[in-house]
Amino acid sequence: MPPQKAILTAESLALGYGRRTVLQDLNLEIRQGEFWFCLGPNGEGKTTLLRTILGSIQPQAGTLWLHDALVSRARIGFVPQRCDLNPALPTTVREFVRLGAVGAQIPRRDQRSNLAWALDRVGLQHLAPQSYWALSGGQRQRALVARALVRRPQLLLLDEPTNGLDLPAAETLLQCLDDLYRQDHVSLLFITHDVAMAARYGTHAILLHAGKAVAGPMPMVLTSHHLAQTYGATVDISRDASGRVTVHVASSGALS
Amino acid sequence: MIESFLASWDLFHQTYLAGWLIALLLSLVGVFVVARDQIFIGIAISQASTLGIALGMGVGSWMDLHDVAWLSSDAFLSGMAVAFAMLAALLTARRSEAGGESHEAITGWVFLLCASLSILLVAHSPHGLDEIQRLLSSSLIGATNRDVWTFAGLSGCTILTLGIAHRRLLLFAMDPPMAAAVGMRVSWWAAGAALWLGLVIGLSMRVSGMLYTFGILVLPALVAKNLCREVRILFLISPVIALSVGTIGFVLANHYDYPPAQMTVALLSGLLIVAWLYQQRIIAR
Repeated sequence: MPPQKAILTAESLALGYGRRTVLQDLNLEIRQGEFWFCLGPNGEGKTTLLRTILGSIQPQAGTLWLHDALVSRARIGFVPQRCDLNPALPTTVREFVRLGAVGAQIPRRDQRSNLAWALDRVGLQHLAPQSYWALSGGQRQRALVARALVRRPQLLLLDEPTNGLDLPAAETLLQCLDDLYRQDHVSLLFITHDVAMAARYGTHAILLHAGKAVAGPMPMVLTSHHLAQTYGATVDISRDASGRVTVHVASSGALS
Repeated sequence: MIESFLASWDLFHQTYLAGWLIALLLSLVGVFVVARDQIFIGIAISQASTLGIALGMGVGSWMDLHDVAWLSSDAFLSGMAVAFAMLAALLTARRSEAGGESHEAITGWVFLLCASLSILLVAHSPHGLDEIQRLLSSSLIGATNRDVWTFAGLSGCTILTLGIAHRRLLLFAMDPPMAAAVGMRVSWWAAGAALWLGLVIGLSMRVSGMLYTFGILVLPALVAKNLCREVRILFLISPVIALSVGTIGFVLANHYDYPPAQMTVALLSGLLIVAWLYQQRIIAR
């Protein structure tokens, strides 16, 4: 496959709040159709990175280049960890998802097809007229993904969307995302603490630790050396012929 | 019954028109109050505008400025009501911060402070105390042509804004963090919404009093919430409910010689019970 075009490039990027720098010297190039995972302990700047890409925070130093189509953020989708919707408010899945198109300047004729496509991508088309509150936890997370997809994003940012989901629900969500980058060539940047999930699904990773970042293709980043530096324990990752990933942590045995 | 209502039109048409236009305006704005789960803010802002009116009435006598005509004018009192309502709306619009005082606590404080001060300020002025009691108990009698045009204009502006930016307003009301993520300046929207809320409540308080203002702000939206499946439909159903019940309330009040504001709010409160029962039935299915 020929190399895809770059949609986001960060050079010597420093991020933080006020005078406090959270992350520095970040170098990164995300291309179309790549599935990136962002890993690291709490407070290392994962969410700060997402907020910078979304334009809520200005970089302290360095350059963040976005493809022309992404500069206005209209083609960037965002999936939060959870949604703080007023539970007493009546809303259907269709109305909830449609709200994701706000600010994306989508022509009226495309809005309906985008909605159908987004719901189809996450397998919720048959539930469109249902109440959002009748959905299970896993379905609600997929509705959040659909809400981000209705903008037809080139880059989808996900902030720990599998938190609190049981294994089957998390697996269904990840399968949706896997299809998205393979079939629709949407680039994904997924924040998680789950090393095994990243190793299994991702093509690239960013590992954050002590204000520094290691970023690149998955096999070059998720090495025992980098993981030991990040988590302070010996971590080994192995993958068998069927694609099954096993993460071994020296102190507590096999994780998955 | 309807004939006697029509016969009263010449005498009370300004009251009816102002009541309906206030119902249209506040039932639309009330959808945001209900969507943002800020119902108590409505009564705190109403109480703040009462304090503004009490201050406006007292300032002339305290400063011995009885000869200054504009200090006792309707425009000055309305201005004071709006100013205090806007101030309270901005104060109560702030989101709760971790470790800080909760949003509900600040709203409660605003309500209690304004409720106590508005009575204390006019306690030694029989005329002032009557006026505050009238505001608290609500009376639509006395609305003028200027009130009718004012609320027609405000309703028009609100409908126009909803037509232009209803999706942005919906997202802002339903999910502010997501609104920020898609590039909306949520703090600006919150300030704008608070100022608009303060303006419409402040003006409505001066004309119709607290009971009608607060009742018509939240009850139609609450009834509609129990009948509708989508928030965007609330913007249609809430004003329909407010205007329909308002009309029935005015007709009944005229026929049985009851105050129209109280009649309308009582009917809306009863309708809310029906809406709750309907909602329970839907859930049970």
